[in-house]
Amino acid sequence: MTRGFRRRFRPLELLSEEQCNEVHHGMLEVLEKTGVLVDHERALDLFRDKGCRVDFDNKRVRMPSYIVEEALQKAPAVFTVRARDGKDDIVIGGDTVYFTLFPGMDTVDLDTWEPRSPTLREHNEYIALSDALPNCHFLACYPYFGYKGVPEVLKILEGIAVKLRNTTMVQTCCYSHGCERFTVRMVEAIEGMEAMGATHSAPPLSFSREMVDTYFTYLEADFPLWIGGGPVLGGTTPVTIAGSMVVSNAEMVAAVVLSELIRPGARVMVHDYALPINMRTGSPDFGAIEAVMHQAVFNQTWRRYGIPAVSTNAGPVSSKKIDFQCGYEKAFAAFSAAISGVNVIQFSGGLYGELAAHPLQAILDDDIAGMVGRYLEGVSVNADTMALDLIEDVGPIPGNYVGRAHTREWWQREFFTPKAADRLPLPEWLKTGKKDCLDYARERLEELLSTHKPKRLADEQEEKIEGIMREAREYYRKKGLIGDSEWKEYMAIIESDEYPYSR
Amino acid sequence: MSEVLEELRKSILEYDADRAEEYALRSIEEKVDPLKSFEAMTKAINEIGEGFKKGERWLPDLVGGADAMLRAAPIIEREIKKRGVKRQSLGVVVAGTVFGDIHSIGKTMVCALLSAEGFEVHDIGINVRADEYIRAIDENGAEILVLSALMTTTAPEMHKVIAFLVEKGLRDRVKVMVGGGAITEGFAKNIGADGYDPTAPGAVKVARSLVGR
Ligand code: B12
Repeated sequence: MTRGFRRRFRPLELLSEEQCNEVHHGMLEVLEKTGVLVDHERALDLFRDKGCRVDFDNKRVRMPSYIVEEALQKAPAVFTVRARDGKDDIVIGGDTVYFTLFPGMDTVDLDTWEPRSPTLREHNEYIALSDALPNCHFLACYPYFGYKGVPEVLKILEGIAVKLRNTTMVQTCCYSHGCERFTVRMVEAIEGMEAMGATHSAPPLSFSREMVDTYFTYLEADFPLWIGGGPVLGGTTPVTIAGSMVVSNAEMVAAVVLSELIRPGARVMVHDYALPINMRTGSPDFGAIEAVMHQAVFNQTWRRYGIPAVSTNAGPVSSKKIDFQCGYEKAFAAFSAAISGVNVIQFSGGLYGELAAHPLQAILDDDIAGMVGRYLEGVSVNADTMALDLIEDVGPIPGNYVGRAHTREWWQREFFTPKAADRLPLPEWLKTGKKDCLDYARERLEELLSTHKPKRLADEQEEKIEGIMREAREYYRKKGLIGDSEWKEYMAIIESDEYPYSR
Repeated sequence: MSEVLEELRKSILEYDADRAEEYALRSIEEKVDPLKSFEAMTKAINEIGEGFKKGERWLPDLVGGADAMLRAAPIIEREIKKRGVKRQSLGVVVAGTVFGDIHSIGKTMVCALLSAEGFEVHDIGINVRADEYIRAIDENGAEILVLSALMTTTAPEMHKVIAFLVEKGLRDRVKVMVGGGAITEGFAKNIGADGYDPTAPGAVKVARSLVGR
């Protein structure tokens, strides 16, 4: 099992008990009065049968609070997801905090800082790297959104296959064009392994048909769900944090109700991804402090519901480069989420606004995750750590602690040592080429890729996966969703030596 | 300026849709020249647009002003039609986010800015099928079609819409502008769009140049 980090102290609470109640009651009122739009016949029937008020003409579902409370009760507070390799199983909930890779679409060119589609090799290497990073505990959707040469409709599926092949960690499967039908089979083809299914709401207060389809497909296959929204404060929710909280919680709670109706006891976790709208450009302000606060309140309310909470705000930033702004945006968000009671932080590698991710950023983020994790584990106070006998023994100057057994025994447990930070004294830094964190990250990337070999799929597993991929390719080709020239370029990659492992 | 016109102008400047509607109706009761009413509203919305460009007004002001104008405009337009006179707009626009895509924020901004500039904008929403665009173009006599797509998976839908325009013999009648997070200049060229810009203010410049006004 992947341990992740354990929060050893009471989480930070931004709201008072009373404020928390108000937000909760606001959410219940919205679900009962305003309701949610669900563009899906089967789901509407389910809601009606359960006792919700369903307006079939307008596809609006209004939920009495007892149904809401019941669903929140049904969802497990802690659940396990089994990985390809037992050592990578995860147990989500409680005081555990995990970090995942963040789903950036493309890679970036480090000279121009422009995003571009990664190659198959770059995709493989990125996932292999995540498998090596100590503070990356499982995988979110993407990254990347497929690789260069793959037709749009197959990008999600090819990406899922890349993840199956290059890591034994749990992964999360996104969806497009109904690709879940193949995803589920690929995951089931590997005995004993599970994956998380990503599902969403569409703010404000809506669920589109394609989205609802994924709830059914994943839950019928008994996938645990990673449910997300994506509210924009001042765009798709009220501009205020409290108002936005009510709307996003209403959406997430409605999603939980739907999930528990489809499959009672379904394993679900919910993410917060609320960003203030930029009043000049209309774009979401990634990395904004209000998003960080929104997340803290979200964590507080969902802890009360006993359902694991996920942070998404810490992964993407507004900066387009790996720079100072990028660093503070990520560190602030990850730290605040962690100490306010989150369970999963979707984090490493993400750069501008979900559009880009980079292995060097993932290496730097792994250090942030390590620092946050160290903080979470807290301060251990006991006779051993207080070391009164030792203090007596060492006494004042000229005594010191450097060579003592206590120091040797404890320092590695007490200190977190970042792998890509510059911590040299000035003279040594001057003499050794004035390296910065990016230089160290480059070295670490090279080293990890040359030394770490993720466990490949067994031959018969590989055959099954490739068989399903072949079927999927034919399926979308027959549907007319892949043009002739696209197909040619695609096949050239599939038939090359680079495919599927690049090495 | 008459009191009604002044109130109409002010209601838009103050983003007050209810008042804009009220004074639009009052202007008709008081037999104010509807072209003058339109002029007053356009002046207000231009002022908001200018303020936005200068950084004195913000997105909610822009969209709030456009919403107020949209509430009053149909009332005045009806009167213009009744009197059989012609209003000078910069051009008629049909806009929407393509089929399969429900992202709406950018498209709404583009619509607000185009209205503010003086275009007559028909925003037909999100998740719009090719045939729905065609119907809206027909119904409103549009000269410009605004297509928005935020996802690389829905961007190809734009190609379909353009092909459909050709099939229906409408391609020469409308200029097609494309944009949204997933669209690049190269893509726009490839699918044969007439205009592209990465920003909403840029969309206005493109629209103006497309109609040559
Ligand atoms: C907010 C958001 C949402 C919200 C949208 C709410 C709403 N009502 O609009 C919600 C949560 C609903 C959502 C849903 C989804 N989203 Co989304 N979303 C975003 C996000 C974070 C911001 C988009 C945005 O509003 N930008 C701000 C506006 C102002 O920008 P804009 O629309 O591009 O407009 C500007 C310009 O482009 C221009 N413009 C716009 N239109 C036009 C038109 C013309 C003619 C011109 C000239 C200019 C122009 O003017 C604007 C201002 O300058 C992006 C990430 C990102 N970094 O962009 C992802 C993103 C677009 N979403 C993405 C995805 C995958 C989804 C989902 C499929 C997720 C899911 N699995 O459910 C669903 C989509 C469902 C569907 N069928 O559409 C992906 C797309 C990936 C891809 N393949 O390309 C992105 C890139 C994130 C990611 N990397 O995963 N999303």
